[in-house]
Amino acid sequence: MADMQVDVAIIGAGPAGVAAGIGAREAGAKDVLVLERDWDLGGILQQCIHPGFGLHTFKEELTGPEYMHRWVVRAREAGVTFLTNSMVFKLDEDGSLWVMNPERGVFKVTAKATVLAMGCRERPLGAINVPGSRPAGIFTAGTAQRFVNMEGYMPGHRTVVLGSGDIGLIMARRLVWEGARVEGVFELMPWAGGLRRNIAQCLNDYDIPFYLSHTVTRVHGKDRLEGVSVAEVDENRQVLDGTERFIGCDCLLLAVGLIPENELSRMAGVEIHPVTGGPVLNEFYQTSRPSIFAAGNVVIVYDLADWVSQEGVAAGRNAALYAAGALKEPLRRIDIRGGANVRLFSPQYVTAGEDVTVYFRVLRPIEKRCRVFADRGLFERKHRYVRPGEMNEIRLKAEALQALPRSVTTITIDAEEV
Amino acid sequence: MSDKTFDIVIVGAGIIGATLARELSAYALRVAVIDKASDIPSGASRANSAMIHAGYDDQPGTIKADFCPIGNRLYHELAGPLDFTLKECGSYVCGFDDDDRKHLEKLLQQGRANGVPGLEIVNGEALRRREPYASAEITHALWAPTGAIVNNFEAVLAFMDNAQQNGVELFLETTMEELLLSPDRGEVVGIATNRGRFFAPVVVNAAGVNSDLIARMAGDESFFIRPTRGEYYITDKHVGHLVKSFFFACPTPKGKGITVAPTAENNLLLGPTSTVQASRDDTSTTGPGLAEVIDGARRLVPSIPLNMAITAFSGVRANPDTKDFIVNVLDRPTGFVNAGGIKSPGFTSAPAIARHLVELMEDRFSRRISFIPDPAFVPERKHIPRFEQLPLEEKRRLAEADRRYAQIVCRCEMVTEGQVVEAIARGARTVAGVKIWTRAGAGRCQGGFCGPRVVEILARELGVPCEEITRHGGHSRYLVGKTKDYWFRGEK
Repeated sequence: MADMQVDVAIIGAGPAGVAAGIGAREAGAKDVLVLERDWDLGGILQQCIHPGFGLHTFKEELTGPEYMHRWVVRAREAGVTFLTNSMVFKLDEDGSLWVMNPERGVFKVTAKATVLAMGCRERPLGAINVPGSRPAGIFTAGTAQRFVNMEGYMPGHRTVVLGSGDIGLIMARRLVWEGARVEGVFELMPWAGGLRRNIAQCLNDYDIPFYLSHTVTRVHGKDRLEGVSVAEVDENRQVLDGTERFIGCDCLLLAVGLIPENELSRMAGVEIHPVTGGPVLNEFYQTSRPSIFAAGNVVIVYDLADWVSQEGVAAGRNAALYAAGALKEPLRRIDIRGGANVRLFSPQYVTAGEDVTVYFRVLRPIEKRCRVFADRGLFERKHRYVRPGEMNEIRLKAEALQALPRSVTTITIDAEEV
Repeated sequence: MSDKTFDIVIVGAGIIGATLARELSAYALRVAVIDKASDIPSGASRANSAMIHAGYDDQPGTIKADFCPIGNRLYHELAGPLDFTLKECGSYVCGFDDDDRKHLEKLLQQGRANGVPGLEIVNGEALRRREPYASAEITHALWAPTGAIVNNFEAVLAFMDNAQQNGVELFLETTMEELLLSPDRGEVVGIATNRGRFFAPVVVNAAGVNSDLIARMAGDESFFIRPTRGEYYITDKHVGHLVKSFFFACPTPKGKGITVAPTAENNLLLGPTSTVQASRDDTSTTGPGLAEVIDGARRLVPSIPLNMAITAFSGVRANPDTKDFIVNVLDRPTGFVNAGGIKSPGFTSAPAIARHLVELMEDRFSRRISFIPDPAFVPERKHIPRFEQLPLEEKRRLAEADRRYAQIVCRCEMVTEGQVVEAIARGARTVAGVKIWTRAGAGRCQGGFCGPRVVEILARELGVPCEEITRHGGHSRYLVGKTKDYWFRGEK
């Protein structure tokens, strides 16, 4: 296979990557190539056959595949080129990509600008320190979702879900629909990891027990999983004596966190933020390598695909501008700082070149009237609550940023009770 | 189950069984190796530190002390021809005070007596110039340049694969149930298994943690195994740079203690604990055990982050009550060979033990079997291509020649479909088998991405439905059925 040269190369054809393709074409890039390692486009949304997508973008409720289908149609109409079964296995510092594809072999793509849109992966059992044996029947919720929704296989008959991330909640309901039993969802923290609406629609509506401040303390079974021990934990997440009990099950699903997938980014020397696990960005979605941009869950894990698509369009547009030598020069650098109740946020800094939305998650829930704000009067909005499972937005105007005295080099964002 | 006839049956396909099988395959002998597991290596050869010890730990005059440095040399010699990964990383035994310093001196003398080359004691500053993340509390360290790391999966497979290429037959999921003896019970005539009888005038007990049970079948009660659990963590490769060499603390009566080591693929390996247990096959991890691993590892390398573990596992060592390996030929029944109780440095010593066993058998069994060199013996073999490690141009060539090498299966370890198919062709039957051969699923996502793909390829290549594929043999089915089965079967 001959090597390729393009204006903008995009890694990943999930919601971020497909939208980035559109953004790049709309901003005038001629050759826009999206590389996808799976056999079909859509990324993880291929297996998200439940509704809940598109309320923001299309003002209607779609399933994951329907939502992505619309975006892919738009991208094809916009002239975006897609290559599936194409794994990018190496990313050079200048943004050149090395790709493997069973029809085309191994080849190199040289791009004037590159967009990282690799999404995230699930935290496995080994990463969360649950002792016991290692039998068959332990899956991350997303792997189980692929088996059930795409391959047509059942991961187990009796399931325990550890963690209350959205995929875990959705899979609990999905397994009940398939006739399996779900013994309960166990969450280490005193609050839910996923969206409130998923707790209601996936657990409460199906009488699936939901245990906060609980964890799995041991895995049992030699060949196939035979059960798990669960126990209550205190505020320091230490197991409370006497609360441990055994639950028989042949399947344990894990929904214990998503990790932005940045192996390629690291390879290219892109600076990774120690808390988000994603690239350090400015408001142009530009990483520490100027020709490399990033959008979506590879940066910070979002709640809604609609937001990811929106970010993708913007990242693609800026990548196209960069490829054409037309991206605005930074006017100044203002670092964003998280306040006392901020767990993580992105972008990490702004240059006052463009209006920007800062996305952030809180550390602790506030279940009463509260305000989400940036200091210096740059932004304030009242909320009825803030929760770790739900992302917050802070909108900053470029004009207001430009008007700040030159001595201002940081802005603090936070959420607090009113 | 038809009966089979061989010259030698080896019970156990761990590193001892594999190295011995390969030595024997150089002769015109019919050799069978049986193992009860679905994939090799299982048992202690699967779950250990993968350290090729230099040989300073063992008291001069023991079998261990004799075999360990020779085994170390043989691994260095054979890594090339047998194509398994060996990393010449060297090792440090770290001392924290004057008592430790004395102990290091003792190890130094012992090592020199055992013929270990290049040993020296360095001070803490010299250590930290080479290993900047080593603890500031370390005052002295014994440096052993010949200490090395192997990929222990690959090493066992390499010896056995080469043996099989030279005619040795491997029987998996085959459990020895009885030793067959002549009517006067004076001679070995074979073994009975769950898969029929294997007749042979020579039976070798290389059964690891079960070696005392097999010895009992021959009436040998000279040793007992005290199964000893060792728990480990493996970390993400992101922190693999924290050490270049293998780090030990000064040993205690319980063993060599918690170590910090690079793996052959640049993860960190932390562990093991050492806990005597009743069970010979319980490889669970425990809360206290894993906490001990972290504490012990951070004593050597304080900056090891907790959140970088990708998996934990445990192995059960064949810890004998004799303090030394049991490598002998029984006087009665004739034809029974012990290679049991091979705990640390057993993996290192294995190739030397294998050579010694062949000499022993030649000497003792010349009337039962003839050791005639096989002129067709091929002393080398190639592993499945390690796609991730190939230079770009070779990746290109391989993908050009076989396009299945351009189809990704495991993204973390960059394993292609070509490798998975080749692993199945060479004997992998389970998801764990594919992992052992190729590392698919051994990376940071632990099979989340490649699990469905590996199951699908196994089913396709073996011509069975996906539901029949197991994680690691036995009843470990990966999936429990098709969706909608409940409705089709009318169950609820």
